[in-house]
Amino acid sequence: MTNSRTILICSGKGGVGKTTLTANLGIALAGQGARTVVLDADFGLRNLDLLLGLENRIVFTAQEVLAETCRLDQALVKHKQEPNLALLPAGNPRMLEWLKPEDMQTIVGMLSERFDYVLIDCPAGIEDGFKNAVAAAKEAIVITTPEVSAVRDADRVIGLLNTNGVSPVQLVLNRVRPKMMANQEMLAVDDVTDILALPLLGLVLEDEQVIVSTNRGEPLTLNGHASPAAKAYGNIARRLQGEDIPLMDPAKSGRRGIRARVRQLMQTKIF
Amino acid sequence: MTDEPTPQVPYCLRLPGFRSVAWQQWLPAQLPSIPPGAIDLDIGDWSLSCRDLDELLHALQQAGHEVQLLITRCRDTLISAAALGLPVREASNDIHTSEARDDQPNETKTHVDLTVHRGTLRSGDHIETRGHLLIVGDVNPGGSASAEGDVYVWGRLRGRAHAGSKGNSNAKIVALQLRPLQLRIAELVARGPEEQPQPGLAEQACVLDGAISIEPASAPFFAQQT
Repeated sequence: MTNSRTILICSGKGGVGKTTLTANLGIALAGQGARTVVLDADFGLRNLDLLLGLENRIVFTAQEVLAETCRLDQALVKHKQEPNLALLPAGNPRMLEWLKPEDMQTIVGMLSERFDYVLIDCPAGIEDGFKNAVAAAKEAIVITTPEVSAVRDADRVIGLLNTNGVSPVQLVLNRVRPKMMANQEMLAVDDVTDILALPLLGLVLEDEQVIVSTNRGEPLTLNGHASPAAKAYGNIARRLQGEDIPLMDPAKSGRRGIRARVRQLMQTKIF
Repeated sequence: MTDEPTPQVPYCLRLPGFRSVAWQQWLPAQLPSIPPGAIDLDIGDWSLSCRDLDELLHALQQAGHEVQLLITRCRDTLISAAALGLPVREASNDIHTSEARDDQPNETKTHVDLTVHRGTLRSGDHIETRGHLLIVGDVNPGGSASAEGDVYVWGRLRGRAHAGSKGNSNAKIVALQLRPLQLRIAELVARGPEEQPQPGLAEQACVLDGAISIEPASAPFFAQQT
């Protein structure tokens, strides 16, 4: 496939939602009919398989494919409910040293021949794991939360992506709490985009359902869940596919019923 | 190893000053005139990504040339070279070392010690120059700019800036929006102001009575210093 897209999902800081975004985006893209593979480049602390509920199905990894002890389709783990989605773990947590940037390029080259989307789940940090993952990526999604530390790390990562010629780079803002933003207790969307100067691909609201789904191993986007985060992930997938969907305005995201809205209205009038 | 002593000054390969041709077309014609072995590579103003630079080095290596030092005036190339683990030196902006600038009009020679950087300095980025430094773009929190002369930011300064890094306390820091984490002029250090500055008002920081003080930027923006 010549029009296959290789997208790196990275953040710099850990725990901001790289793996969750990868899993949900993978499911959403596959659900929209695109042949998608998610590659777990964070193999030291891999847990993309956990989020997708595929932990017990992994037999081989990219490591065996490169060593030619198995075929690529043996190592690919097909998702139970979403046949368009496959998972490829990059390596074995016990063998951390083997992977080099060239290996990553080889693997991604093989994957891009048979998939429309190759999503790479990047490890936190900017050390070797990040460099390996960047070597194979053509475009990137930087995910961050509205906190100064996450934004700072994202900024650093964007600089590194630019010097490595990765383009376009888009931004996803995760764990947005509209109420705190309205009260100016949290960085506003504008503050973040002001510093990072990237096109915003999506806003994901803070959502307890994400925790539930992570522990169950069923990504939110799997069953057309109605929670705000599920909707946001679905929209991000559509925007990636080129659809024009307006961004949600956190100030207007009516949380629950009329009471909350009235309270919000009063708050905005006071300020 | 041969007994022949290695030449004191290695051959220096210079990329053309103007990017009218791609180096892929330019290089083959140059290869025969390069002595074999270790060479210096002067990239000049070229901005090369990691991949481009790697490709260029590879092409040279295949022709039997080992690049032992990279000289560049472009920050992106500097970072690329550092990422590839190559010894690198930032070229001084001295007019005599630069062939490319010889044909520029005479008046620019008075500004010869002004380095212009286009683009945002992101967190972790650092730029250090001799002479004055003009950044056309923002300096983000975590980024830092340092110059032996003045630092001018045509954008928002939200990181660190150090003017007069070699001790010139007449140096100043000017920004369209001055909201730094930290300012330094010569040996003095100041934290950024707590309150937000008025938007749309360029400000400058300079040394007044032994302390760094901030005031509205005075014209001329680019005052010549002696």
